[in-house]
Order: sequence, then C-alpha cells, then structure tokens
Amino acid sequence: MAASSRKVFEVFVSKIPWTIASREVKEYFSQFGQVKKCLLPFDKETGFHRGFCWVGYATEEGVQNALQKEAHLLEGSRLQVQKNRKPGGTQRQNRDSDGS
Amino acid sequence: MAALLRSARLLKISPASLLQITGANIHGSAVARLCGGAIGGRVAGIRATQVTHSFGVNRVSWPYAGVRHFAVAPKQQGVSKDEGSSAVRARQAQQFDWALGKLDSSVRRTGRITKTLLLRIFHDICRSGYPSGNQALLLLRSCGSLLPEMPLSERNELAHRIWDKLQELGASYDASHYNALLKVYLQNEFKFSPTEFLAKMEAANVQPNRVTYQRLIAAYCQEGDIEGASKILGFMKSKDLPITEAVFNSLVTGHARAGDMESAENILPVMRGAGIEPGPDTYLALLTAYAEKGDMEKIRQILEALDKGDATLMDRDFMQLVFSLARAGHHQHVPEVVERLRHDRGFIPDAMNLCLSLITQGQEDTAFAVLKTFPTLQAEAQNGDSPELGNFFLRHCVNMDKSVEKLQTYCKELQDSGLHSSALQFTLYCTLEAKKTGMAVHLMKVMKEQGLPIRPHYFWPLLTQHQRDKNTQATVEVLKGMQDLEVLPDVETYSSYVLPTFDSLETARAALKEAGFSVDTEGFSASEVRAEAVNLPKLLVLLSSPSCPAVDLSLFRGSLTLGFKKSSDVECMTKITELLYQDPRFSQTSGGPAEAVSYFLYNLIDSMTEEELLAQEEKLRQYFHQLKNTNVRIPVNIYRGIRNLLESCHVPELIKDVVILVDGKEAIDTLDIPRGKEGRGVGLEKRLEELKAENKPLGATLKQLILSLCAEEKLDRALELKAQHEEDMAVGGYAALINLCCRHDNVEEALNLKREVQRKDSSVALDAGKYLALVKVLSKHGKVDEAVDILKEMKQKDVAVRDATVALIFHVLNMAGLRGDAATVRRLQETIFSLGLAKPTANLCSPLITAYLESGDLTGALDAVLECHKQYNQMPRIHDVLCGLVEKGETELLQKAMDYVSQERGEMTMLYDLFFAFMQTGKHREARKIIETPGLRARPGRLQWFAEKCISNNQMEALEGMVEMTAKLFECDRDEMYHYILRLCKDTNDWRKADATWTKMQEENVIPRERTLLLLADIFKSNGQEVPFEVPEVWYEGSTEAPQQDSKSKSTFSAPSPAPTPLSPSDYQLRLFTLCKRGKVQEALKLLKEVDQKGMVLGPAPYDSLIRSLLAKGSIEDAMAVRDIATTRIGSFQLSEVANSLLVISQVKCGKVKEAQATLTSMLQADQVPSQLAVTRLVQGLGTRGEARAVQEVESTIKAMASSLNLSRMLFINNTALAHIKRGDIEAAVEGLEAFYTPGSEAQGADAPVASMSYVFRRVMEENNEDALDKLSGMAERLANHFAVYRPASDLFLQYLESGRAEDAKFLLQRCAAISEQKDVLLSYVTRAAQKPGQVHKIKTMMELIPDFTEKEVMYPYLIKSYSQDNDLPSAKALYQKMQEEGVAADELCLKRLATLYRNGGEAVPFEEPPESFKFYADKLREKTKAQSLVEDD
Repeated sequence: MAASSRKVFEVFVSKIPWTIASREVKEYFSQFGQVKKCLLPFDKETGFHRGFCWVGYATEEGVQNALQKEAHLLEGSRLQVQKNRKPGGTQRQNRDSDGS
Repeated sequence: MAALLRSARLLKISPASLLQITGANIHGSAVARLCGGAIGGRVAGIRATQVTHSFGVNRVSWPYAGVRHFAVAPKQQGVSKDEGSSAVRARQAQQFDWALGKLDSSVRRTGRITKTLLLRIFHDICRSGYPSGNQALLLLRSCGSLLPEMPLSERNELAHRIWDKLQELGASYDASHYNALLKVYLQNEFKFSPTEFLAKMEAANVQPNRVTYQRLIAAYCQEGDIEGASKILGFMKSKDLPITEAVFNSLVTGHARAGDMESAENILPVMRGAGIEPGPDTYLALLTAYAEKGDMEKIRQILEALDKGDATLMDRDFMQLVFSLARAGHHQHVPEVVERLRHDRGFIPDAMNLCLSLITQGQEDTAFAVLKTFPTLQAEAQNGDSPELGNFFLRHCVNMDKSVEKLQTYCKELQDSGLHSSALQFTLYCTLEAKKTGMAVHLMKVMKEQGLPIRPHYFWPLLTQHQRDKNTQATVEVLKGMQDLEVLPDVETYSSYVLPTFDSLETARAALKEAGFSVDTEGFSASEVRAEAVNLPKLLVLLSSPSCPAVDLSLFRGSLTLGFKKSSDVECMTKITELLYQDPRFSQTSGGPAEAVSYFLYNLIDSMTEEELLAQEEKLRQYFHQLKNTNVRIPVNIYRGIRNLLESCHVPELIKDVVILVDGKEAIDTLDIPRGKEGRGVGLEKRLEELKAENKPLGATLKQLILSLCAEEKLDRALELKAQHEEDMAVGGYAALINLCCRHDNVEEALNLKREVQRKDSSVALDAGKYLALVKVLSKHGKVDEAVDILKEMKQKDVAVRDATVALIFHVLNMAGLRGDAATVRRLQETIFSLGLAKPTANLCSPLITAYLESGDLTGALDAVLECHKQYNQMPRIHDVLCGLVEKGETELLQKAMDYVSQERGEMTMLYDLFFAFMQTGKHREARKIIETPGLRARPGRLQWFAEKCISNNQMEALEGMVEMTAKLFECDRDEMYHYILRLCKDTNDWRKADATWTKMQEENVIPRERTLLLLADIFKSNGQEVPFEVPEVWYEGSTEAPQQDSKSKSTFSAPSPAPTPLSPSDYQLRLFTLCKRGKVQEALKLLKEVDQKGMVLGPAPYDSLIRSLLAKGSIEDAMAVRDIATTRIGSFQLSEVANSLLVISQVKCGKVKEAQATLTSMLQADQVPSQLAVTRLVQGLGTRGEARAVQEVESTIKAMASSLNLSRMLFINNTALAHIKRGDIEAAVEGLEAFYTPGSEAQGADAPVASMSYVFRRVMEENNEDALDKLSGMAERLANHFAVYRPASDLFLQYLESGRAEDAKFLLQRCAAISEQKDVLLSYVTRAAQKPGQVHKIKTMMELIPDFTEKEVMYPYLIKSYSQDNDLPSAKALYQKMQEEGVAADELCLKRLATLYRNGGEAVPFEEPPESFKFYADKLREKTKAQSLVEDD
C-alpha cells in the first residue's frame, strides 16, 4: 500500500477527440493551475489514444478550479472532467512510461 | 452517430415492443390468408426468399425466434422445421447461443452484420473444433445481404470458404444448409448452374425440398431463363408441391429480365386464377422490373393503383426501387421515389444499409442524396454534442477507396449544412484506421489548406502497421509525408513508432540521413537517449558528449529506470546519476537537478516489486554508498517517501543506506529511523525512564509508548502515563487515547481528552476516523448537540474525507438508525450533508429509512424516502418500504408511493418496484398482473437483483414464481432465469427440484447454456442420481472406478472389433469418437497410436476429444502424449477450452498447482475461457498450498470474466484467507476477511453480509488448526457484536454443529446470542441436513441449542423427514406421539412418510394413510402455504 500515503491531485478527463494529443490537453488544463503531469495513454497497437487522460496538478486548488468549470470545450469537443475516483489510477502499469 | 441512432431507435421501440411482434404475426397470417388454404402457415417466412431483395432483411426469420421471443413461436413453427432450427443440444448450445446472440443483436440494431464480426465468430467456431449443424447454418445465412459493406463476389467467396472449412471440421449438411446456400447465391447474384447444384445435393445424398425448388426457380428467373424455371416448375407440379406466391413473384422477374414485360404483367391474373392474390412483393417485383427499364410513367401508374387498393408498400420496398433505379443508371428518377419514403419505424437502419449497398456498388452519389434526406435527430441537438451525421457514410467511402476529391465535396456539404461538425477529421480518422497512407496524407493536405492543425500523432496509426511488418521503407515514406506537411516528428514518434522498426539505432540514423532528414532535432536526440537508456555505458558516453543536446530527464526517466533495474554496473549508474545531478542540460523544469534526480531515485524504488527489491538489495546498497561519495544529496521529504516504500516492501535494512544521502540530517527525528516490531512497549518504557533520568525531552518516546499501549488496548496504563507526563503529551498521543476511549464506550473520558487537547492547541485537527468515533459514541449516549459540534469542527478544520471515512459516516448513522432513533439520524444526516462532509448517496440516506422501519412507522418511512428524493435525488430502501406497505395493506400510501416513483423514475421502474414488492410478500397473483403489463420488457439487472436476493435468503417459492411469471416477458433471458433456480437448488442440494426445473426448461423450449447443464449435472451427481442428458464437459471421474470400467470394456468391445478392410481417416475418426464417448479411453489411445504409426493424420477434433477423455480419467501423461502426437501432425494444434480446463483440474488434483496456474494463464492468453470448475479447483489448490499471492493473481487475471463464469468472490476471499493460514500468517487471513465483511466499506461490496465463509471454517477444523480457529472465531464475534454482521458467526456455529462440536457451538451461541435469530441460515441448514441420511443428530443438537428458532410446525416435519431418511421407525413414532401430545398437526406429507416407515418396518399403519403420491402432497403443501400467505395478506 505504498500509494496510499502519496497525495495526488488528479482529474480524470474523458471524451477526448482523437485529434488532440497530450500537449494540447496539458496546454488547455494549465489555465486552472500548474499541471505536473498529463497521462494520455496511446494504444500502441492502433496508434490512437484511448480517449481518456489523467491530468495531475501540483495542488488541490488546480483540481478544484478544473472541476468547477461547467463545460470544457476543446477544439469544438466537449470534454468530460471528473474527480479521479481511483487515486493512483496511474499506478504501476503506467509508471514506466516516459514523458509524464 | 451510429450509437445515437441506435438509442433513438430503441426508445422508439420500447413502449411498443410487443406490438412489433404482434405486427409480424398479423403480417404472416395476412399472407397466409391471401395465398389460400393449400399452402397454409408455411408461407410466413417466404418473403425473404424474394429474388430482388438484395439488401432487405427479414427480421423475424432468425432460427431461434421461437426460443427467445416466445410470442412469435406459434406462427413460426411451421417454417422453422425446414429452416433447420431443430433444437440445439448440449455442447454446442452455449456457443451457439452466444454466436447467435452476437449476430442477432447486430441484425436487430442495425439490420446488418460487419465482416469483422462474422469472421470473428467463424474463427471462434472453428477454434472450438466442433461446428454444429446450427452454427454452420447461422454462418452461411449471414453471407448474403446482411453484409452490405462487402462486394457481392467477396460475400460469395466467404460463403464458400465457410462451407468448405466447416465441412472439413466435421459439420454435416442437410437440406437446410443447401437452401441457405441457395439463398446466399440469390442475394449475391452469383451465377451458377442449378442442375449442377442439384447433382451435388444428390451426390451428398440430400433430398431437395420445396424451398430448394423455389430458390432454383428464382435463380433461373434472375437470369431471365424462363425455360429453366419452367422445367423446375413442372417438376414441382409432378411432385405435387404447392406453388406459392414467391414462385409467381420470381416469374414476374423472370419474364421481365427476359425482356417480355407483357408476360410479366400477365402473371398477376394467372395468380388470381390460381387463387393467390398478388401481394406487395408481387408488385415490388413488377415495379423493380420497370425501374430497371427506367419507365417512371409505369411506376407512377402502379403506385397510384396501389394507393387506391389495399396493398401498401413499406419504406423498405421504396428503397429497393431506389436501388434498382440507381444500379440501372436512372439516377434522375431517384428523388421522386425518395420523396415517397415515409420514415417509418426502423427507417434509419434500413436507409443506412441502402446507402452502404449503393456505395459498395459504386453509386455513392445516389447514396449521398439519400443520406441528406435522413431526419435530423433532436437528441443530438439536445445533449449539446456536436452533430455528426453521416459517419457511417464517410467511413464506408474511405473503405471503398472513393477519391479524396469526392470525399472533400461530401465533407464540405455536410459541414456547410450543419450536419457534421468535423467531417474532414472524421474522414481522416477512418483513413488512418484503414492504414491508407496515400489517402491520409492527401486528406491532411486538404485539411492544412483549410487551416486545420496537423499533429505528429496523426501519423502514428500509419506507423504502427509498418512497425509490425518491420517495413523500414514504408516508415520512411510516412516520415516524408510528415515532412511534406511540415510536421516535425517528436520524441514519441521516434521512440515508439519509428526506431523499433529498425534493427538498430545506427541503421535508423543512417536510413533517415540518407532519406534527407535532419537527425539533430530534439525529437530524434531524445528518442536516441531513450533508446540507449537500457544500455548504461553507451548512454553515459552519449550523455557526457558535449554534442548531446539538452534533453529533459522527464523525457527518458521511464527508460532510465528500466535500464537501472536491468544493469548491474553500479559504477556506471553512479556516474550517470552524478552527471544528471550536475548538468543543467538534463533538468530544465522548475525544481532543478536536485529535485529531478531525487525524484528519479524515488521512481526507481517505486517501480520495483517486492521481489525485485529483495533480489537487488545488495546492488542498491552499493549504489547508494557510491552516491554518497559524489555530491548527490536528496531532500528529507523525498527520503521519507523512499523510506515508506522500502518499509512497505519489507526491506527496511536499505533505509539506513539511503539515509546517508539525506540533505540536512538533523531534520530526521527518531521516528524516521526504521522501527523494529517486537518488544517495543517494554523497551520504550525503559527508554522513557532513561530519558527522564537524563532530563532529556521525552516527547517522541512518550508518544510512541502511548501509541503502542493503545495498540495493545491497555487504556488504563496509557491514561496513567498521560496523567504523569501531561506537559510532554503530543497530539498524536491524545488522538490515540481518544480513539481508544471511544472504542471502550467511555464517552466522558473521550470528551475530556478532546477538550484537553483543544486547550493545548486550538488549531489542532484529529483525523476523520477519530472524529467520527467521537460522533458515534456521543450520539449513542444521546449527546447529539456535542456530536453535531464535532462534525462542524471537522468542517472548520477541513479534515480530509476519503472513501473509508464515508464508510465510517454510514456506520455512525446506521447505528442510530438501527436503534430506531430517527431524530438523531435526521439531525446528523442533515449536518453532514449541509456541511458537505459527504455526498448524499443512497447508502448514506438509508439509515433514516431504517430508523422508521425499525420503529414500524411506515408512513414516516415513506415520507422520509420522498423527502430524500426531493432533497438528494435518492430513493433509499424503497423496496423495503414498499414491502412493508403491501404487507400492511396500506393501499393509499402504496398508491402515493407508486405515483411518485412513476413520475420521478418512469413507469417501468415503478412497475418493477411494485412487482418485486408483491413477489417478496408472496402476493403472486398481483405480481403476475404487473409483470404482464403490455410493453414491459426485461431488465436483466433488476431481475438479477431479485433473484440473488431469493438465492441468498433461500426463497425458492418467490424465485420460482418470478421465473414462471417472466416466461413471456419481452427479451427475457430464459436460460439465465432457470440458472438462478438451479443455483438455489444447488445451495439447498435439492435434486428433485432441479429435475423438475430441467423438465420445465424443455417444456418452454429453452436452450440451456453449457454452464446451466454443468450445474444441473453437478446437482444430480452429488446426489447420486443419473444425469438425464449428455454432459457437455467430460467430468473428472475418480481414478478408482476407471480401471474397472476399462477392463469390462475390453471384454465386451475389443473382441469383435478386428477390422479386416483398411479404414479411412474418417472411419478412424468416428471410431475414436465412439470409444471416447463410451469411456473406453485406453482402447481409444491404442487405436490412435496405431493410426499414428500408419502415418495417418486426423483432424484436430479427434485428438482433442481423446485428450479430454484421458484427462477425465486422470491420465495426464497419456493426455500430454496425445497432445504431442497431435502437435507433430498438425502444427497449429492447440488444446480446446474444454481440454485445457480439464488439464487445469487434473494438474491441481496431482498437486501441480504451479503448472495448473501456468495452463490457466496460457489459456487466457489464447483468448480461451476456462470452466468455472477449473478456476475453482485451481484457486482451492492454491489456497491449500498457501499461495495467497497466486490466488490474487488468478483473481485479477480472471476478473473480467468472473461474473460470466459465475464465480463467487468468496472463492478468492476464502482461499486467500486459507492460504495465509497455511503459511501461518493468521493475522493476514483475519484482516482480509474482516475487511470484506465490515459493512459500509463500499469497496468490499454489497454481497458481504450474505456471502458464506463456511469453507474456511470447515478447512480449518479439518486440519485441527485451533489457533486459526480461535482467531477467526474472535473475528466472527467482533463482526457480530460491533457491526451486526452475523454471517461469519452463523457459519462458524453451523460448522461446529456439522463437525459434531456441540460444546463449542454452545459457547459461541452464548457469546453471540444473535445467531439464534438468523432463521434463514439456520433453517436452510436444517433443510439440507434433512435431505441426507444419518444427519438427524445434527438437527436435534440444533434444536437443543436453539429450541425456539422456528415454529414446531416447521421443525417437526423436517425431523420426520430425517427419520425417514434413516428408516428409524421408533424415533419417528415417538416424535409423532409427542406431536399429538403437543397438539401439532401432522400434515399429509408427514403422515405419508410415517406410513412408509411403518410399512418398511413391517408394522401396520395405525392411521389412515393418505392415498395420493408424495409429489401430490408436496405440491399440495406448497399450494397451501402459498394460499395461506395470500389469505393472511388480503
């Protein structure tokens, strides 16, 4: 249970259109606070991402700001932003990836 | 858009779903009426044989329509016979059902099947190795117009491929298959010779039937060959076969295609002359003929006449017309016909299929014209999503390689008319998905011209394919495309999608340079660093070279971690770390190198598993020590993180080696050094004394001591210490003390301590758990105001509320609820919600209802539910409230409740709520009325909820009632429903009921899935009954019986068997199957070896069959030998699912659990689904051997399919616990079980209170592990006394009884009196015990221990039953006398049993024996109890 003691300030973003990559997501979510990481998993088999992403803020405030905004529109698509239900949803299996 | 269309369509259907079926019936009978009596009901399915229907689908003609959609059955019966839907049995049933379900849902939703889906099912059926006749039929039928996206010729090739492959695998074909193939030929306009076809049938010894001839006529007519058609017609007449409308319709087409419109028209009067009125299809044939000629005038005339007459055409017919016009090149007339479309129900899927067919056949412009007439969907506008009309159109155009220019025009038009907001992007997406590089780059150019961004990841889908193919040339091509579009490949593009395609970094570099790309970009360099990160010396060279560009550590941290884990070159690791620490090139982010490197160390440790850490401990130690010699230092906070990781992985020794790297060591206090476990309390007291003597600060040690005393529950000593050292007390110490006081229910002391700590430091906050413990104890003692104050303080101090806290909150509320204290619950609840400490979930709202229900105030309960809904949009415990209202006959309140539910949650929800309330209270008549409401459809989730409830509470009557009443419910999964009943039969071990259920299933024509049959067989077998059907899986037979059978078989079978003539492989195959089926395995093995020596190769099926038979006898070695033979003969041979499952079971049985686990893993990798039994045995085997981790591994790998395998979570929980116990770690076992049973913790799930852990108790008792039993018993008592969770205690109690430890049972009962109230569990135990002989003493002990847990009227009959099982007349006599003395009436069933006993004992029956059979009285008794409950309720 190493993860439980760590504090993570993450939101879970879904319904991301395929045209958007993590750079754009990060850019967009930076308006709510300093984004420490942005994990948008790509399917190495298909080359497309899976449409969801974890955005990690430096502080709880960033999370709150992001959650408070009613509609998140990015390039004409409406993103769904939720509180990350499973803290550490980015655990072991994802940890080995670069660029986070 | 497809999904939206789908939902819109479903919505339209839902209220009228029953109507739809009625409609189908009416249609069928209307046709029958028109065609006159001679043809009768057999015509219903014929419309589908219509020649010209090349994209229409007859939705009700699926073979199983009679099975699932009960309502259709009566009309379909006549057809289903020659369409080949004889009952599918046994082993293929499940797979058939599954495949059918898949295809059916596709057809039902969209009117079509995709090629991918069909191929997948084909592949799966081949994989299983035994295609049944029905599966073959299913696949063949799908190769025609159901595939609008495939060109006609391809479809036909596929049909032939399937035909040949299945035949090879042993499917046998009958007339239904040939007819299906003919239909596919017609739909695919395949040119073939009908005479040859007939010859082929004759050669295969299959008799053609009426349908065959009809379709052959249609085939001739399609070619305009009237002469050929007439020949067949004459043949039909000579055989006296009826000539149906379909034949005439074909003739219309035939004459028209022969160019003779006059004769075509003349068919209609001929039909009338023969007593058949021309139907819509006849007119359609005529219209189609004119459409092919482009004669719009005639078409108008016919349509006009039709409008006046009573035959009406459907949208689908007009679409056929559109199709014919377009294909014949008369596009100009299309709009006129399109205008006539009425957009009936089901319009969109049909129209989509029309468009797809048009595109496939090169008529995309017509398709686009049709697309534009699609009604725009309001749903899309409403939910705010951007419009996306025509996705299917664009995708199919891409797949069919339409030109980019055309696509561009379509996209522009869609976008301009506001039908699609991102048509170009979507088109590009499809192109990328289809890996069409040229088209994609072309499209991107178009997009770029329009100012749309083009990003590196757009190219990844193209690169993945080349990576798989190792195609460097094509990869370079894609990169060129990027260059053309001025998109710079980034590090991800290179690392993940480009470099892996090349053999090495060097070749990549060279190839890119040669193709004229710059390799000095940041993207390429970073990817280079990343690629080299696994090779540390090389990386060091690369990084330390001055030419290396700036690359942030975060870009290669993951790979570097990997490299460090793999490497053993400590020196190199140190140098790289140092370099990263010093060189600013590698840390461009805010924290600077120190932070970046420290985090890297943390990540390194974090990425390692416990085993890896243990294995690499020494390497890491050296690494840290070498780092110390450099100037690398890490901050304290990161050190703490590392320390926690190391502690949790049980390598605390390493902490000492990390601590030397800490920057500013003075910040580390005593707590930060690793702690030992044992002897802490004593040691600490000593240390405290020492410190005191030396006059040093006591704070930290005192706190540790208090904590450890609290952990040992030594409250008095801890309080004493506190009093002594009040001024040195830290907050943590207080917190622990407060918590302990709360647990000991010492509310005054807890409050005092709380005030004390407040005085010391008013800003101090406790954690949520401590606060809530206070709230709980305060509200328990009626100090609600103080409790509310505590909650407010939590809010003020902003105490973090996590999931576990929410569970605690529920607990606090529920305790008050169970006391019936509504006022307190309400007050606390409102405070909690209004402060926002927790969200008002259904769970958190429920205690208020509980409070009213506990105090019997139904009005209050209902009002509370409604209030909860208004305030929080939750309806907690509505079912319980409704049951209460029904029971008490509160009609008015019930009406109010239903009106409300109906208004807020919809009528369907209301109906289900009411249905379940009636069922629960035994009012089956009322329940039936509800469930038969027209338009109601099955909601599997809700039905399952009720079924599970019945199963766990052992309510067979209610369950059976529900299953029976839902027989005609639309879309109700009948197999699932009967499976519920059987599960309960299994629980109560009632094979008679199971047998009755089996009969009912046959009566209802339910095709059981494999798991249902297995369950049923299991029930029969465990009761020593014969299984009345072929069991789908070969069962594991005890090896003790096997040799006997074998020797017998040798004498009876092998003697007459010498075969004089040489046999062909298929003969051998057949013999092998027969031998396997009869259980003559050794003989089969011998035969196979003979065959093999002759060098003969059999198909995969016989090998697999033999392997399974061998495994069933427990001969793993022989089975593996056969597998080896099979693999040498057939390279791709693979064990089937069934065989693999058996292998797992056999391996477990031989104690090879690790191998078994490996087998399971390989099964899952091969996409196979293991049997429930295999998983169960494996998990049990692992549990027995103490492999807790492996149990969890299996659980996590199998998770996705656990519910479909019907695996209980308890299997894993119980066996994990057993594994811990086996290894001697009883604490871990208790911890796991306790966490599961502790209520309210959402993670642990709602099934906790009902799930049984008897298995654990049984095993522990069997192994005489008293220590474990003690601890588990303690846990069970804790759960019962603290949390009102009685299941574990009850399980233990019954297990004591079961193993004859009555004394222990008695003591347990004294400590946990509530066990005696667990009537359901206890009674179900009695029921089970009474079913087997020799169990009567258990029932008696139970009655002695808990004399009054149920009425004598209930108990005595069980005792009588038990005596009669034992054939114990004297005891039965005595009991009967006692019953008479106590005035307990014996029912007829009892008397019947008694009478039998008397007779068996050779005594005269002293009373009049009830004349009827046992079953009669059993049924009567059931009826009576049912009627009684109804009377009581009314």
